[in-house]
Amino acid sequence: MKQSTFGPWLAMIIGGLYFLVPLLATFEFSLRMKRGEYSFEAYRVVFADPGFQASFSYSVALALATIVLGVLLVVPTAYWIHLKLPKLKPLVEFVTLLPLVIPAIVIVFGYLRMYNSSSILPLTNSARGTDLLLAFGYVTLALPYMYRAVDTGLRAIDVRTLTEAAESLGAGWPTVLFRVIFPNVRVAILSGAFVTFAIVMGEFTFASLLNRPAFGPYLQLIGANRAYEPAALAIIAFLVTWACMGLMQVIGQGARMVSRKR
Amino acid sequence: MAATADALPQRQAAMRRVGTTAFALVGVAPFFLFALFFLILPTMFLIVGAFKNPAGDWTLGNLANLFQPTIISAYWISIQVSAASAILGGLIGFFLAYAAVSGGLPAWIRPTLLTFSGVASNFAGIPLAFAFLATLGRMGLVTVFLNEAFGFNLYRTGFNLLSFWGLTLTYLYFQIPLMVLILTPAIDGLKREWREASQILGATSVQYWRYIALPVLWPSMLGTTLLLFANAFGAVATAYALTGSSMNIVTILLYAQVRGDVLHDPHLGYALAVGMILITGVSNGTYIWLRSRGERWLR
Amino acid sequence: MKAAWTTVSSVSVVALVASMTAALAEPPADLIEAAKKEGQLTTIALPHDWCGYGALIDSFKAKYGIAVNELNPDAGSGDEVEAIRANKGNTGPQAPDVIDVGLSFGPLAKAEGLLQPYKVSTWATIPDAAKDADGYWYGDYYGVLAFEVNTDIVKTVPKDWSDLLADDLANSVALAGDPRASNQAIQAVYAAGLAAGATDPADIGAKGLAFFADLNKAGNFVPVIGKAASIAQGSTPIVVRWDYNALADRDTLAGNPPVEVVVPETGVVAGVYVQAISAFAPHPNAAKLWMEHLYSDEGQLGWLKGYCHPIRFLDLVKNGKVPQEMLDKLPPAAAYDKAVFPSVEQQKAAAAVITKQWDTVVGANVQ
Repeated sequence: MKQSTFGPWLAMIIGGLYFLVPLLATFEFSLRMKRGEYSFEAYRVVFADPGFQASFSYSVALALATIVLGVLLVVPTAYWIHLKLPKLKPLVEFVTLLPLVIPAIVIVFGYLRMYNSSSILPLTNSARGTDLLLAFGYVTLALPYMYRAVDTGLRAIDVRTLTEAAESLGAGWPTVLFRVIFPNVRVAILSGAFVTFAIVMGEFTFASLLNRPAFGPYLQLIGANRAYEPAALAIIAFLVTWACMGLMQVIGQGARMVSRKR
Repeated sequence: MAATADALPQRQAAMRRVGTTAFALVGVAPFFLFALFFLILPTMFLIVGAFKNPAGDWTLGNLANLFQPTIISAYWISIQVSAASAILGGLIGFFLAYAAVSGGLPAWIRPTLLTFSGVASNFAGIPLAFAFLATLGRMGLVTVFLNEAFGFNLYRTGFNLLSFWGLTLTYLYFQIPLMVLILTPAIDGLKREWREASQILGATSVQYWRYIALPVLWPSMLGTTLLLFANAFGAVATAYALTGSSMNIVTILLYAQVRGDVLHDPHLGYALAVGMILITGVSNGTYIWLRSRGERWLR
Repeated sequence: MKAAWTTVSSVSVVALVASMTAALAEPPADLIEAAKKEGQLTTIALPHDWCGYGALIDSFKAKYGIAVNELNPDAGSGDEVEAIRANKGNTGPQAPDVIDVGLSFGPLAKAEGLLQPYKVSTWATIPDAAKDADGYWYGDYYGVLAFEVNTDIVKTVPKDWSDLLADDLANSVALAGDPRASNQAIQAVYAAGLAAGATDPADIGAKGLAFFADLNKAGNFVPVIGKAASIAQGSTPIVVRWDYNALADRDTLAGNPPVEVVVPETGVVAGVYVQAISAFAPHPNAAKLWMEHLYSDEGQLGWLKGYCHPIRFLDLVKNGKVPQEMLDKLPPAAAYDKAVFPSVEQQKAAAAVITKQWDTVVGANVQ
């Protein structure tokens, strides 16, 4: 029995309109930099700014680092909770929801007090140290989304059976984790990675208060006084972030294809 | 003698259980250590600050101050906006995710939707507010288009983007993608065989959903809706940029106290944040209770 | 012999006086030395388009070769003070050396022990009302509140507060901040209250709120925070903000759209900002050199170029130091004659009324 695709298509079209029209409006406004005609002047100004490239590449690097750290932290934890400590689940879930309601500004002020140059762990003294602190901060911010995505993914597979099967075949826990569990929650990890990437690219408070040259503060700087460049920047940031995610998707799918061939 | 002989294996079993639990706790130690050093301890400054006044003495006054009418109404409005955008976002997100995964659409739709959702889920704050103002504001693209093409004046119908529902509409822009992203792996887990088996056994679509699909998806859907609620509750940049000074929501109030040029009572700001954490705790508790009731269907 | 001595001594006296005046124009050499050794200055909340700070920072870097680390340009006065507090034990680059905050924040920060005193060499020419007697904070520039109008959309440009209530200005008027928290927005409400004829600060606040309530009821008020982008896009064609920001916007937008800056005829409020050095500044000498730079004639004219009236404006005009072209670019001096400079106490009293009652008196009903 073939399912009608009318419903799905309708959903997609309405969804598409809702998401694309505001972007179109922003794009249209960004083209109006030259009076009376449409031009890419705003885009030219943005691309010519060396600050744009520097801050964008900095944030991309930091985003990738955050994703790696986040995945390494969250997946084993979620797996462990599912398997061995289901009673701790409510506590862990509550902790992962905290970054959503504790304002970022409060967390970063806490960092400044705890990790400044006169404390035991003076992370703010060096650029690399502050980068590390920023990455940890971003992992914290992305925690709710990463954990929820991985948790949903783990629910969808039979974790217990997989583990027992792998163990009975003689696998140690690193093998179980990295070669059995990770591939099976690949889609979930990828979802979490997408959200993390987007969060890091747009984040402002942490980067600004820790004084690191990230993309968020750069966006804010341009948006403060200019009219057309922020709109152009928003569109550029959107498109480039989308492209990066497309790349991540391809790499993620590609690896899956390879493992299937075996 | 028999008592001791029995007691020994029991005690051994008990000790083995304790040993396993202790070992298991080691597995989650990195997470809790991380949370401690990079989330909980930095936040303690805030929690402690909620109980102190500017002079540095301990006081419950800040928490008592929370019970003013403006602040209570701020919390209530925040809860309403967050709930509205979470529930709507959850529903619409679910339909979109389902359409993309199991709707029989061309193969390129799913990765496009997922990557787009990734970007859109964090497209918030001033760019989002501006995008909606540029679309549905007084001089927005759609407003002007409707006026010129159909003579339909959107604003005369009483529609106003800068209102509760306008804000909810804007919030949906990042709520729906979030739902899509996080629910897709779960919908992936709905095996095709189940649907086929249920059809073979004569079940209608409604029955499939009611007895098979929804019970399986229910915990994930509920959990993600809760995430959406907390997400909207904590959002400030978008609300600020859009409705600026007309809406009284907790996060704006908080920011005014902690960052503001004039009000500047950070301790009240901290008390506001403690209130927000409590509300999140309560909603988390409700979620767990609802989920455990729903999970009964799975067994 | 005696005549020769007299000549020599008078010449040397003249030389001494000349060198002293020259010394007054240049900061002391050992300060420059110490500042250069520190090598860096950390500033906060200095957008480049605000009062021409971009050019001032560049000229400081070029003159003394000291790097300038700029923190969050979007920070408000509250953020700046909080940044000092939060970085108390931190000598890293996150700690600001100098701050530029609203008038009421000077005494506040001093009371909390967050500032260190310093009297620049031109201290005497700063009006007494605009500085702290002990030298902890000192006024730097001022401007008046004006209407920034997008003349593409608004055909009849409002000349005064009462004009804002006109029928054809539906959904047009916005503030540049949140009146529950932002100094600029609160001063705008204060100005509206002054225009309504009130004299007591609490009454000014109440009358200002009443005005905005009327504006909201007439459908003319837009609760969005006005910026260059929203003015150009059309969601906030009229914004009440400091004249220097409005004029800088006019230049940035360069006619696309054309912007007119109008100082209202009644209810002209001037706002003073103050400079201060953080008590925990990691680079105190660089901070002091920066102050010398800002309060030198060169620095003060730099602010004037950014359309801000420097605090030593009257002194500079008296000594004929201001180029005529610069004067021509400013709003007419007549507008400034009517300017009212609210004191810290007056601001506090009005702010108490405005921030507490904005939601109930003006706030749009949430359906």
